[in-house]
Amino acid sequence: MRALVIDDSRVMRKIVGGNLRELGFETVEAGDGQEALDVLDSGVEVDLACIDWNMPVMDGLTFVTKVRANPELRGITLMMVTTESEQGQIVRALAAGAHEYLIKPFTPQAMREKLELLGLVSMREYA
Amino acid sequence: MSTIMDYGSVYEIAQAVFAAMIDGDEGLLLPWDGDPPVIDDPVVSWVEVEGPIVGRAALTTSRDTAHALARALMGMGADEPVSDDDLVDAFGEIANVVGGNVKALLPDQGTLSMPQVATELPPTDYPMVHELHLAWRGDPLDVVIWLNRVNPEGEI
Repeated sequence: MRALVIDDSRVMRKIVGGNLRELGFETVEAGDGQEALDVLDSGVEVDLACIDWNMPVMDGLTFVTKVRANPELRGITLMMVTTESEQGQIVRALAAGAHEYLIKPFTPQAMREKLELLGLVSMREYA
Repeated sequence: MSTIMDYGSVYEIAQAVFAAMIDGDEGLLLPWDGDPPVIDDPVVSWVEVEGPIVGRAALTTSRDTAHALARALMGMGADEPVSDDDLVDAFGEIANVVGGNVKALLPDQGTLSMPQVATELPPTDYPMVHELHLAWRGDPLDVVIWLNRVNPEGEI
């Protein structure tokens, strides 16, 4: 399983990526939504994208919308990982096509539980 | 304005952020005991709230403590050097997460600016609603919240 970690903060990419690697994922990184689209356009295949909301160049919500509009990318599970914790923002992200929503700050256990809900951790364990 | 966000709620946010992101345990960020401390060689990180309610959430601590926070956030050893870029990134991200959770307490949705880090805050006309003098692992760290409604007719 490979995950794309999208966050303008290198520190947060390190933290999120570290948690994912602990769960057995390979990780690739992008500093904003456009950079993430470029990664996907280059042919890198990922199973999961963890997406910050507020980023320069292209924000996370726009990235989600663009991925969902591309049938070739429909297999990617999209999880927002963000400080945007108002109910309205969560609804917007889910309506745009995000599968799950993890609010910062989060613990490694919280991330694991979200990935279990998505079937990604257990899928890997039984693969 | 402060009636929608009491001191305890801001403190709970700060504690939750430090416990989850930095310490792995609550109890290392405590109220400062005594007179408000003077923070030498300060570093400040902040985010601006924009929307029906405008404001700012800021953290201030000493440069040494900011370095220690960055090391803790990134899981670095106590003696490992922290680059300026990592210091700005890490300390800014802490303000970003605190500010984002503070924003979530507001009755009207708004947006959050990108975090900024400097040695002093730019001036603001917003009224200060909470000033928390805290101690992280014994070192002073202030969390300050300013808020103002753009349309004063809707005073909370």
